[in-house]
Amino acid sequence: MNRQEDRLRDALRGYAARIAASHTVPPASGVWLRAERRRRRLAIERAERPLRIMQALGLVCAMIAAGWLLIQAGSVHPLPSFGTVVLVSTFASLLLVVAGCWAMVLASRRSL
Amino acid sequence: MFITEAEFQRIYDANAGPILGYLAASTGRRDVADDMLQETFCRLLVQAKSGMEACDVRRYLFRIATNLLRDRWRSGEGRAFDEPDETGATTDLDASIDVRAMLEHLSPRERQLLWLAYVEGMDHAEIAAATGLGRLSVRTLLFRARGRARKFLSAGEELR
Repeated sequence: MNRQEDRLRDALRGYAARIAASHTVPPASGVWLRAERRRRRLAIERAERPLRIMQALGLVCAMIAAGWLLIQAGSVHPLPSFGTVVLVSTFASLLLVVAGCWAMVLASRRSL
Repeated sequence: MFITEAEFQRIYDANAGPILGYLAASTGRRDVADDMLQETFCRLLVQAKSGMEACDVRRYLFRIATNLLRDRWRSGEGRAFDEPDETGATTDLDASIDVRAMLEHLSPRERQLLWLAYVEGMDHAEIAAATGLGRLSVRTLLFRARGRARKFLSAGEELR
């Protein structure tokens, strides 16, 4: 059993030596450049993420505001009174803007 | 802080050969092994921080390489050994044992485990860390792989 195991080990190591002799590893500089390019791309993606979040939030806020304006225009009326709607919308917008800013600050601190 | 270029050169010189051997033996294809080797070191550079211990780096690299191999097999591209052997001259030992045929005969997981155990000389804990398997699983799977490889070797000897 041990003989067979030694045989297996020798066979595999012999095969590894043949691979090492016939396969040349690519230069490290090429791999370094490839990694640099990827790092840069990831950094850009990280930097752009908060902006995308803000864009999405802005879109949501705009849609809410547009809906509210339509309601106020008088086409549809059986909805909450003016005061409540304004209060809720303002609060929600404020919350979203603060959350977006907070996410952006955190992301920019992480990338430093 | 990320790994510096000089530090990377040192890590690459020390580990590129063994990782390439592992990938070439596992995939049976030189082009795929080359590409996966570059991807392995790329991921190390993007993710790892400076000042890692040499043995940690080695384990980490084998882990990345193993994950890449697994992804390849899962995506269905893992038809191993589809290229003829180009490893050149044979030794006396290899003349009696067709290692390549034996590796082809084994499952991808078995090939990995045998390679890490016998070529890289890793113990069960190190193999577990490199492959993401549990220690007990490594022990069981390695035992089975050894058994299958031994059977193959015995058959080869009988033929001789």
